[in-house]
Amino acid sequence: MATQRKNSKTNKNGQIVAGFLAPHPPHLVYGENPSQNEPTAEGGWEQLRWAYERARKSIEQLKPDVLLVHSPHWMTQQGHHFLGVPHLSGKSVDPIFPNIFRYQFELDVDVALAEACCNEGAKLGLYTKMMRNPNFRVDYGTITTLHMIRPQWDIPVVGLSANNSPYYLSTQEGLEEMDHLGKATRKAIEKTGRRAVLLASNTLCHWHFHEEPATPEDMSQEHPQSFSGYKWDMKIIDLLRQGKTKEVFQLLPQFIDEAFAEVKSGAFSWMFAAMGYPEIPGELHGYGTVIGTGNAVMEWNLVKAGLAGSKAGAKLKKAA
Amino acid sequence: MPIVSAFLVPGSPLPYVKRDNPSWGKIAAGYEAAGQALVASKPDVLLVYSTQWVAVLDQLWQARPRITGVHVDENWHEYADLPYDVKIDTKLAQACVSAATKAGVKSKAVNYDGFPIDTGTIVAANFLNPGGRIPMLIASNNLYHDFALTQKLGRIAAAQARSQKKRVAVIGVGNLSGAFFRGEIDIRKDKLAAPKYDRWNKKVLAFMAQGDVKGLAAAIPDFANDGKAEMGFKHYAWVLGAVGGKFTGATVHAYGPLYGAGGAVVEFQLKPRQ
Repeated sequence: MATQRKNSKTNKNGQIVAGFLAPHPPHLVYGENPSQNEPTAEGGWEQLRWAYERARKSIEQLKPDVLLVHSPHWMTQQGHHFLGVPHLSGKSVDPIFPNIFRYQFELDVDVALAEACCNEGAKLGLYTKMMRNPNFRVDYGTITTLHMIRPQWDIPVVGLSANNSPYYLSTQEGLEEMDHLGKATRKAIEKTGRRAVLLASNTLCHWHFHEEPATPEDMSQEHPQSFSGYKWDMKIIDLLRQGKTKEVFQLLPQFIDEAFAEVKSGAFSWMFAAMGYPEIPGELHGYGTVIGTGNAVMEWNLVKAGLAGSKAGAKLKKAA
Repeated sequence: MPIVSAFLVPGSPLPYVKRDNPSWGKIAAGYEAAGQALVASKPDVLLVYSTQWVAVLDQLWQARPRITGVHVDENWHEYADLPYDVKIDTKLAQACVSAATKAGVKSKAVNYDGFPIDTGTIVAANFLNPGGRIPMLIASNNLYHDFALTQKLGRIAAAQARSQKKRVAVIGVGNLSGAFFRGEIDIRKDKLAAPKYDRWNKKVLAFMAQGDVKGLAAAIPDFANDGKAEMGFKHYAWVLGAVGGKFTGATVHAYGPLYGAGGAVVEFQLKPRQ
């Protein structure tokens, strides 16, 4: 069972200390051979796994109270849902890749923060709902992202579903809804006094191969499925590394359409909205493909940027 | 051996987990009527295709001999759990994997403890085959397969069952119109998401009732686009393929809204009209 880390719930000035683009191909867990996963691999996808290792060091230094993850593989057609059971466990088998991901999960949920997110979302006009069923099976996207960023499973989490509004509405309208969800999340974090890290569980270019190699970890078979998709990924990453957030969001609908980018499901927009769309350089921990899709592990450290932490608090007090 | 019965049923869990809501209770009752017809047809195996078992790599066929557990729907988790106990006709599943691959549709057998059976398959199994008495064949919905390819898969599955001399009931699981309400509604006043979807669904059901396969085939592209047919109506393609592209009529056991989407329980008539 995961150990619940003591969090600073008495701190009234909660804040987001960092956001990560943290994609969820289950291949990364498979390649790592953790004890929780049944299948075993001969490695594979090292660039991405090592990227996550670098991201883990930041998590260690940031010492968050809670990890919030938005996953496109918990799909809810009616509203934005939040895990709302204090402890969840079970076996998660990926329906697409059952040969490589059969994972025994166990996690603690920060229910108070989840409820606050749910309430703040409703205040902004979103349809939101708490998931209270203890038999609920957590999706593999949430689990993969959480395992890769913090394999110790010792930090409570808040899991958010993907309402997939950009698929049902227009991309623009859908992403606006994710903007509201991000702002609601930020408000909830501030009100509950949490020191929070946000995880956007999204792949970039999502064009993929339609057949799997006989040995999934045979890296001689791994490369971008689409050259145009790869070029799109590099363009977006380059802009993010330069801190050109505004430009990225101007290009986002076109990127989504032309690269079939998974960011359409909303996690990326949610995270940036929650962070206030900071124009700060993102740190690229690594990029790699998984069955041809483009995946980047990136970090926006708001403490290092002076936008969170005690320095930011001092700045705010001074301004006040 | 013949196809002894064929059905189109909705995959929403609402009639199963919340049948005390009148409009959803009507669908549940329709499901039970279809279940009686299915049992009366004495099938050896049920060929099931649910739009909610989504695949993107290969065509997947469930091949675990027995699957039991409790599923919680991703969206409707607040109402009730979905227990399941399903027996699989593994010999038929393996034959389908081989035959489909040979026909150019790369296929895989799925045999894993804890594999997530989708809501639609569970709802159909629990209503039509309670206790899992009759073995099933379950095929995935590969998102990259179109109507014609899905029809071909239905044909392949039926042919394999025929070669094993099995009496077959075929079941397509999915909605008619797939547009739904995104926000909170008074479920007692559930209705189709828009009047045009109601018109489309009734038009499609009329084609089925009349056994007008050609008329329906001509209408499906517009139904898919304008009527927002769920998943391009591929669950019907599965049934159509399995029954050899023809039926003589249909009984609509129930039709109604499922949070705005169109759900119908349809039993196809396969014998020539008297």
